[in-house]
Amino acid sequence: MNLAIVLVTAAVLALGMILRLAVTQSLQAKRSASLAGAIRPIDIEAFRNLTDPAEESYLRHRLPPAQFRAVRRERLRAMAAYVYIVGSNAAVLVRVGETARATGDARLAEAAQQLVNDALLLRRNAHVALARIYLALAWPNSDFAAVRVVERYEHLSGAAMLLGRLQNPAVPVRLSA
Amino acid sequence: MLQAHSPLWHYLWVAPNLLLLILALVIWREKLHKRYSVFLFFAVVTAIEQLTVYVADVLPSVSPVAWYHIFGGGLLVEALLKFALIGQIFGILLGTYPSLAKFGKLLTTGVGVALVLLASVVAAYTPKNNIYWIVSGVHVFEQTIYLIECGLILFLFGFAGYFKLRWSRPAFGITLGLGISACVHLATWAMMANPDFSALYHVSLVFLNMATYQVCVLIWFYYLLVPQKSVTTSAVFLPENNLDIWNRELERLLQQ
Repeated sequence: MNLAIVLVTAAVLALGMILRLAVTQSLQAKRSASLAGAIRPIDIEAFRNLTDPAEESYLRHRLPPAQFRAVRRERLRAMAAYVYIVGSNAAVLVRVGETARATGDARLAEAAQQLVNDALLLRRNAHVALARIYLALAWPNSDFAAVRVVERYEHLSGAAMLLGRLQNPAVPVRLSA
Repeated sequence: MLQAHSPLWHYLWVAPNLLLLILALVIWREKLHKRYSVFLFFAVVTAIEQLTVYVADVLPSVSPVAWYHIFGGGLLVEALLKFALIGQIFGILLGTYPSLAKFGKLLTTGVGVALVLLASVVAAYTPKNNIYWIVSGVHVFEQTIYLIECGLILFLFGFAGYFKLRWSRPAFGITLGLGISACVHLATWAMMANPDFSALYHVSLVFLNMATYQVCVLIWFYYLLVPQKSVTTSAVFLPENNLDIWNRELERLLQQ
């Protein structure tokens, strides 16, 4: 009896989620006008500073262990906030790329495809990096590197710039502050 | 009205399967089968399987035990085809995104294994609802299949939603239909596999299953055969900015 109730509840919840995701995705395909405003520029220099292993090592040697852990947690929280924005920007750029692909302009298609692929990789990396950051928050003494996310973001920004140039040579593009 | 062998019961069992055969024919004529080959196969085999089970049900010469054997066999084939179909849809969805293909495949395999384990545990804890093993076995088997299917489709929608992937219209429609069907069938078979619910609501649940299946076939018709409205997409402009500063910064980073 209890098992059946659990399964029925799970099925109803799953149905609700599937319908919600389906509606969201079909609406998403139709909305493209407000995409540009959704990109939040990030300070890549500050982000690189946060992920710099030399900086990390310096703090580890200079601070007492308890203070180092507290500082590291603060830095990890800041890092998580940056990575979250990077992931959100990547999601917006996937949609920007998809919309550009849908215009049917052959000149844009290649740059748009490149942007979509890079943005997807970045979103995946951001997701993995966030998981590692939260893990590191639980164990502040563990080693952690988010360098790949930084590298990917730089690469992605190049692809976005190329697409922006192709779409409108007069309007430049900014992904970082 | 809501009784076994009533006109509505006959209609709900036969009509969706005839519609599915018609859909398969149209898919073939429209040459959609090249891209959605597994769906075409699924539509034909499922429709024939369901109509065979229907004929076995109305024929007095078929014993209840023989009917359950036919039903169970058909169920197994249907389940294999559904999983193959989900696999093909995932392949179509990721086909245009090579950067996600490997990661997506890995994640799907993990989710699939976890769902099989979960469904096995749930099946092990499901009480027998009938003295005949074939009857309770088939009910638990249905519950197990729909639990895995429901989880996989939820994952598929979640994955596509998280990465903002663009669906092709037919793939979206097929997945939506399968998802609705899987969720409703999971709920009904979970109730039917339980002796407390089965005795009270068996016929109503059968009707709910059949009506849902009819709706799903209509969803497949709509998404596979009604063309998408052409939306005029204007060029997307990224925000105004200081590209020169960004360029200098990028060059500096690349030179490191």
